[in-house]
Amino acid sequence: MSTSTQTPTNPAPPAAQKITPPTQILNTTIAKLYSTIHPLVLLILVTVRFDALVQDPISELLNDLPFLVGLQLLFVVLCLPPAGADEKHDPVHKSKAGIRRRVKTDAVGGVSGIVAGFIPGVLSLILTTLLATPVLTLLLVLFGAPATTHHAQTVLAGAHMAVLASPPLIYVHGVDGSVWREVWGANRPGDVVWGGALGTCVGAWFGAVPVPLDWDRPWQAFPITVLVGAYIGYAVGVWLGGSVLFGRRLKIEEDEDLDLDSEVEGKKTE
Amino acid sequence: MVPETSRGSESRSSSLNGLPNTALPPQPSESSDPQKAPVPKPMSAMQTRSGRGSNRQDSSDERLEREFKAKHLGSLGVLGWILFIHVVGIFFFTKGFLLTRMVLENKSSCQVLPFEDSSKLSAVSKNDGGCWHRKSFDKAIVIIIDALRYDFTVPFAPTAEGESAQLFHDNIPILYETAVNTPENAFLLPFIADPPTTTLQRLKGLTTGTLPTFVDAGSNFAGTAIDEDNLVAQLRAAGKNLVHLGDDTWHSLFPNYFDANLTRPFDSFNVWDLHTVDNGVNDHLFPLLRSENVTKWDVIFGHYLGVDHAGHRYGPNHPAMGAKLRQMDQVVRDLIAALDDKTLLVVMGDHGMDAKGDHGGESSDEVDAALWMYSKKSIFGRTSPEAAIPPKTARERFVPQIDLVPTLSLLLGLPIPFNNLGSPIEEAFSGRHGNDWKNLVDVNRLASAQIKRYQHEYAVTRGAGDGQEFQSLELWEAAESAWQKSPKSGKSNAAAMRPIYGSYREYQRETLNICRGLWAKFHVPSMIQGVGILFAGVFLLVLYARGVRSDRTALTKPLLLSVAAGSGSGALFGAALAFGGVFDMPVTESSALLAATGSIVGASWAMIVKPQHLALPLPNSLWGWLAVIFTVSQSFGFASNSYTIWEDEILLFFLCTFGVIGGISSMRQKTTSDRVLGVYHSILFVILGRIASFSRLCREEQMPFCRSTYYASATSSTSAPWQLVIPFLVTLILPAVVKSFYAGSKSYEGVATLWIGVGFRLGLFLTSVFWMLEGADDGEWIPISKGMLKSTRVFLAQLVLGLAFGAGTTAFIYSKPCVSISVTQGNADSEGRSKSPSSAQQPGRTTVTILGFANIYGTRFFLLVVNFALGIILMQKPMGQGAMGLLLWQILSLLEILDTNALVLGNSAIGPVVLALLGSFYYFKTGHQAVLSSIQWETAFIPLSTVKYPWSPIIVILNTFGPQILTAIAVPLTVLWKRPLQLNDQSRAQASTTSRAPASKILSDIVQAACTYILYFATINLATTMWAGHLRRHLMLYRIFSPRFMMGAAVLGVVDIVLILFSVGGIRWSMLSVGEIFGW
Repeated sequence: MSTSTQTPTNPAPPAAQKITPPTQILNTTIAKLYSTIHPLVLLILVTVRFDALVQDPISELLNDLPFLVGLQLLFVVLCLPPAGADEKHDPVHKSKAGIRRRVKTDAVGGVSGIVAGFIPGVLSLILTTLLATPVLTLLLVLFGAPATTHHAQTVLAGAHMAVLASPPLIYVHGVDGSVWREVWGANRPGDVVWGGALGTCVGAWFGAVPVPLDWDRPWQAFPITVLVGAYIGYAVGVWLGGSVLFGRRLKIEEDEDLDLDSEVEGKKTE
Repeated sequence: MVPETSRGSESRSSSLNGLPNTALPPQPSESSDPQKAPVPKPMSAMQTRSGRGSNRQDSSDERLEREFKAKHLGSLGVLGWILFIHVVGIFFFTKGFLLTRMVLENKSSCQVLPFEDSSKLSAVSKNDGGCWHRKSFDKAIVIIIDALRYDFTVPFAPTAEGESAQLFHDNIPILYETAVNTPENAFLLPFIADPPTTTLQRLKGLTTGTLPTFVDAGSNFAGTAIDEDNLVAQLRAAGKNLVHLGDDTWHSLFPNYFDANLTRPFDSFNVWDLHTVDNGVNDHLFPLLRSENVTKWDVIFGHYLGVDHAGHRYGPNHPAMGAKLRQMDQVVRDLIAALDDKTLLVVMGDHGMDAKGDHGGESSDEVDAALWMYSKKSIFGRTSPEAAIPPKTARERFVPQIDLVPTLSLLLGLPIPFNNLGSPIEEAFSGRHGNDWKNLVDVNRLASAQIKRYQHEYAVTRGAGDGQEFQSLELWEAAESAWQKSPKSGKSNAAAMRPIYGSYREYQRETLNICRGLWAKFHVPSMIQGVGILFAGVFLLVLYARGVRSDRTALTKPLLLSVAAGSGSGALFGAALAFGGVFDMPVTESSALLAATGSIVGASWAMIVKPQHLALPLPNSLWGWLAVIFTVSQSFGFASNSYTIWEDEILLFFLCTFGVIGGISSMRQKTTSDRVLGVYHSILFVILGRIASFSRLCREEQMPFCRSTYYASATSSTSAPWQLVIPFLVTLILPAVVKSFYAGSKSYEGVATLWIGVGFRLGLFLTSVFWMLEGADDGEWIPISKGMLKSTRVFLAQLVLGLAFGAGTTAFIYSKPCVSISVTQGNADSEGRSKSPSSAQQPGRTTVTILGFANIYGTRFFLLVVNFALGIILMQKPMGQGAMGLLLWQILSLLEILDTNALVLGNSAIGPVVLALLGSFYYFKTGHQAVLSSIQWETAFIPLSTVKYPWSPIIVILNTFGPQILTAIAVPLTVLWKRPLQLNDQSRAQASTTSRAPASKILSDIVQAACTYILYFATINLATTMWAGHLRRHLMLYRIFSPRFMMGAAVLGVVDIVLILFSVGGIRWSMLSVGEIFGW
């Protein structure tokens, strides 16, 4: 249980397991520029449309969805290496070039980034619609969202969260089983992709906090705060994942050596 | 219990002891994981044992067993000390916080005047038809328009520039019109309520004339019937025929007081319905005023709810409110038209409403009601010209609501109710010219004398002259002497009488203020003492539960010694201080306070003096942090009324968070079986919790965002027919679920098959039949007499209880572990897969197969949980039974999550804390809320026909805190579930002769888990206590913070006791049972 790695400098993987390093932003000026702007754009979108969102959440969320999808696609296509792309997009990890790290290998060579990203892009849209949205909607309900009313709001909130969290993950990692196992275990090393996804969920979690308060503010209605939390969480997650927390993993288990007693005992029994 | 099985295992285990050969245990289901397959160890122990001769082993076992028993008792002692700290802390806080008023049973009577010397009553005894005073009316119609705020009744007067009339203004002008146009026939005054401004509390005030406190000590706590002297009882005693129409709250307060033929109660709960009650009252009220019916009644109480409901539903500024008030205006006009000379008409609000139309608190809008009296006789007067028109706002010339009591009593010629603190309303007694000072003096002297009599009686009953009470007596003496000196004869002499009247009034108001202070003043030092002790208790518990790194059982002795020393000297010192007069409190209280303080000092010394035991009690993993976040954030949340109101949703949110993180963590596990099991149980855990969340009983404050599902409807406390299916589903599913968890570790062996497969199932089935009969009784489906049904039900319930706690306890104490041991001769190679290396030396002579080895501690102890589950399920309503079934399932699921994530051996705080969250969550899912009214008192009669002490309270506790009790019982499982069997190695036992027995490590872990569980509830209790104390002037104190504090304190006490007596206490037998078979 103690093998969870704390920093990228000490991956210490089990022997035959392939590792997928944290995703780097593409090494182009526009990618670097837009990856910084993108979270801000989303936050500005939220700020600008906030009043409308409070007025009529359903239609506003529905109308915003295409824009959000567009922005997210723009972000992944401009800034991220598509699944199956060659290592040359990822110069930092050249040293590990020997390790097979993408499932798809057909889009190699002279094909331009946009074309190479076409299939992952479509895939990410399909999976976001068919998989991520229902799963996140279900999670919202499990966490206490109304089960018998507010269906439209819940589904739309799930969809927004899904569009925030999943397209980058799918675009970059495709259907790479080992990566997704890490995603389900929340065990990915920090990067913009994973940071955004985790940030969305954590942000939504915190977004639920003001809902019960009796301030009688219209913006307290479900799912406004949850979604605002998700957006803020996404922005913060992308930013932190790309900088401070890059390569770091979330730790869950205890460090075993803290329990002196059991260790002593363990040694004795050996 | 299980003759077959136990005989089998006994004989085999003994033969096993004697066999000089190899045993070969099959590895249980998780055999691939070396951490969870401890099997070689006992085998090696057995080998050693057989090798070295059994005598020595036996003596060593005996020694270890004795040692375990001693340490176990010591641990219970530590838990007992924790309980002591909690009880003392809660006691001292409560003493200062929950102010109580004694209810005196005395009744005023017609024959006895309130004066000390009855000879002096010449002036009043000429009462023509009245009791203490001549009566003015024979009959009365008392109309209560619920939530009639004062500003509804007076013309709109802008208080600020540019303010315009709102929809509630100027819709009920009749009251003001009559008061201005015919002042001798009517008056209108602001009528100020004493908070809490809820209808029930207000009706108490309006009929008894006394002040509300949180607990009226002496009153029947369960029932709501008023047992103090009151207006309605006095009317009844005077032989009046009383009619009540409208709000049915009256009937819970005054059962059997009203004429059954004419009275029409209406359900008061449906706040969405604006018209049913009002139209119902109208339909039955006006016929009574017709001449042919007018002799059938003396006093009518009519209670309209439409205005209140319009406020709750729409708020005051809404067309519906305007319409409602106009309807009321018409009602009053019709009443005036139908009124005769002998009848007094009173119209009043019992409280106001805030800007949103709600009430309950003590804001001005909520306490400002209106009072209007009308009579065709010209008897009302004004003593000064300023009083000619009703006040513009409710802040001028207002009268307290309790003034209604003496006023109505004297107007109708009744004695003033004994507990009354109100004063006669001036307008009603000053005569049509406003100068009947003699009459005013008379009535005020009567009221004052009654107040003095009450004051005296209260002081006597209380057993102490408080000093405070006597301050106002000087005013009484002064008024009395002035009255004695005044001329008794002749016409009323304004100049002489007016000051006398004034001094009586002064005495009345002064006494009222004193009583208000007495019954509404908190004793802050005592509250601080309580909070201080509780805080120290939590601090020490944090150290003991999370900070102690060494074996807790080794710490027990020094800890208990210094606790004993500290509390002993503290108790003596406290007693001395109390005797010496330093402390102003009884000897027992003072010694308890200092004993608690001393024990805290002693315990701190014992723990902190050896710092190598201690580590900083900070979490070292996400799990630990999660436990802290859950506990602390909830504690902070209780400072807000919203988070207190929505506690059930917050708990669901936390539990779901735990489940999701459990699933994530499970995905990280190395072995596939751990991953699959962990994820499966995490998903199950979350879904079960969400299903349970559909069972709700909403509290008033959750409206309209909540829909109650616990009973057939929001206004009933019986189950819907479809809900009666739930117990049968539980019978069908729950034992199978438990079985599947046992089967997962091949532990569905031995006593488990009989107890879970047959006993548990039978008990659940009987429970289902019980509730089916209960439903049949409610719905009258079966043509059997009620008595027959009742006795059948009682028999069934007692049978289930006998099964759960009688047979169940016997089974728990005497049964063998849930394992099956079989010995086969030869041919071990056929089971080559599970061959362990040590057994390979002597192949194939005898094979010992032990099934259920992997979870030997857990399954054995879980039997106790099953017993309690059965007993608690019986006590729940059908919906609650489903919830309890889900709880048991979730507990098992939680244990599996803990196991797959290696949290069982890690002593993580998360296990006990999530159990505590589950307990709290299901409290709300079994039809309870943190309000007193949600206590299901009727459950006391499930297994009994009459109230029997101590059983009835215990039954109600089993119903109320059932979920917390069940999770408390399950606490040891968080460190026992699938814990590998560790036995004392001979070599190790010799090397270090002291206390390295695995049993003491297990005990230490259990105590740690139990303390962590207590820590959750102790923290919540500390938080709710502090918030209740801090927010003691908050609007919502009585509705939200006080009940939550009381619940927190009660839960803490119950949990402490259950842990000591049953949970940690029960460990003794389950450990002995395992030790008997496998050694120590």
